[in-house]
Amino acid sequence: MERKTFNLQVMSINGIFYNGRAAEIILPCIDGEYAILPEHEELVLAIYNGKMTIRDEIGDKIDCIVGVGSAQIANNRVIVIVDTVEKPEDIDRNRARRALERAEEEMRQNNSIKEYYTAQAAMARALTRLKHSSDYGLD
Amino acid sequence: MANIKEIRDRISSIRDTMKITNAMYMISSNKLRKAKKQLADTEPYFYALQAMIARVSRHIPDDVEDIFLQTAEGIPFHARAKGYLILTSDKGLAGAFNHNVVKLAEEHIRESNKLVNYKLYVVGEFGRHYFTSLGFKIEENFRYTAQNPNLDRARDISATILDDYRNGVLDEVYVVYTSMKNSLTSEVKIEKILPLDIIENARNRYRIIDAYNEEFIFDPSPKAIIDNIVPNFITGFIFGTLVETFCSEQNARMMAMDNANKNATSMIGELVKQYNRKRQAAITQEITEVVSGAKALKRAKEIKQRKNRASK
Repeated sequence: MERKTFNLQVMSINGIFYNGRAAEIILPCIDGEYAILPEHEELVLAIYNGKMTIRDEIGDKIDCIVGVGSAQIANNRVIVIVDTVEKPEDIDRNRARRALERAEEEMRQNNSIKEYYTAQAAMARALTRLKHSSDYGLD
Repeated sequence: MANIKEIRDRISSIRDTMKITNAMYMISSNKLRKAKKQLADTEPYFYALQAMIARVSRHIPDDVEDIFLQTAEGIPFHARAKGYLILTSDKGLAGAFNHNVVKLAEEHIRESNKLVNYKLYVVGEFGRHYFTSLGFKIEENFRYTAQNPNLDRARDISATILDDYRNGVLDEVYVVYTSMKNSLTSEVKIEKILPLDIIENARNRYRIIDAYNEEFIFDPSPKAIIDNIVPNFITGFIFGTLVETFCSEQNARMMAMDNANKNATSMIGELVKQYNRKRQAAITQEITEVVSGAKALKRAKEIKQRKNRASK
């Protein structure tokens, strides 16, 4: 029997990341992960920093790290729009570590609320990058 | 009249300037190519996000309260606190590129707000100088360069603006930027980014019809989704305008440098003609002098001979 698939588009500011059929997608949401299978009901999801996993039509797994964004599911089509999407092997761990240190420093400096939130967001991005790229034993 | 040496010095100085303008032309065309690719990459994201916002906002229940769903309709236009994000370049030598931007921005600020209740976020050294010299108050801590636009900078800029918007400092936010109409012409645009027109349009349009065809579940909540995608959209939009402004700047500089090169070439042509004429005149004069000198000598000799003959 043929595997059921759905149409998937993953986009970020840097361009289209994935465009084609997929069998499953796991998205990082506020309270954990959310898996979407073909013929899912109509849904709009908010996505937060974390790991996204795509299983394509032949069953290969594609892992990637995403930023804040959202997903829309309608008529067996899934559109994922996030501000960044990267493969774990493309992540520059040193750069992420530097960003983390910078964010930690900024948060310690008793700045304005806005700067605090900006630093917090930067920290979350750096932490997810570090956490998920370490799975690949690149450290 | 300039003498030969002066003309020669002038030609060589024009040649030297031409080397610079030529190099700048090449650098600009290279930067433009890179920036254009960046711009093309962001386009699908941008359109998809726009469509998504429209779709979400027309399916959102009426009782959802969110800062991004509010409109400034209750406040008269002139009384709204307006924020302006003005994108200029850091360097000159780009023709009228910067002047067009600041002129349009200045006009809008003067007309629509009578110079009160505005806030300026200026990107680029040129705009900052211009507005400070006019005595406008600009946001002091807002210091970003227009060079090499990147996502981090767009994120910082949109965080600053969104923060002021959320805190009620601003009722409306406009972006003044230069967009590329095609590869030759660019035009200055002023666009409102907050509150978002697409949200308003979508909500007004679909409230009349009893649209029922698809019903979305919002997880975790409609507010969370709007809070997630609207800042993304603003960041994306600002990134797009940064890149487009950068493209237009490079384009304007390319054209300015191209013109400079053309002018230099025609100037050199003119000067070379003048130089040759002068040189020819000098040669002619020298020959005349030699010839007339020789003639004078000859005549003196003849007179001497005649005298000698007469005395014999």
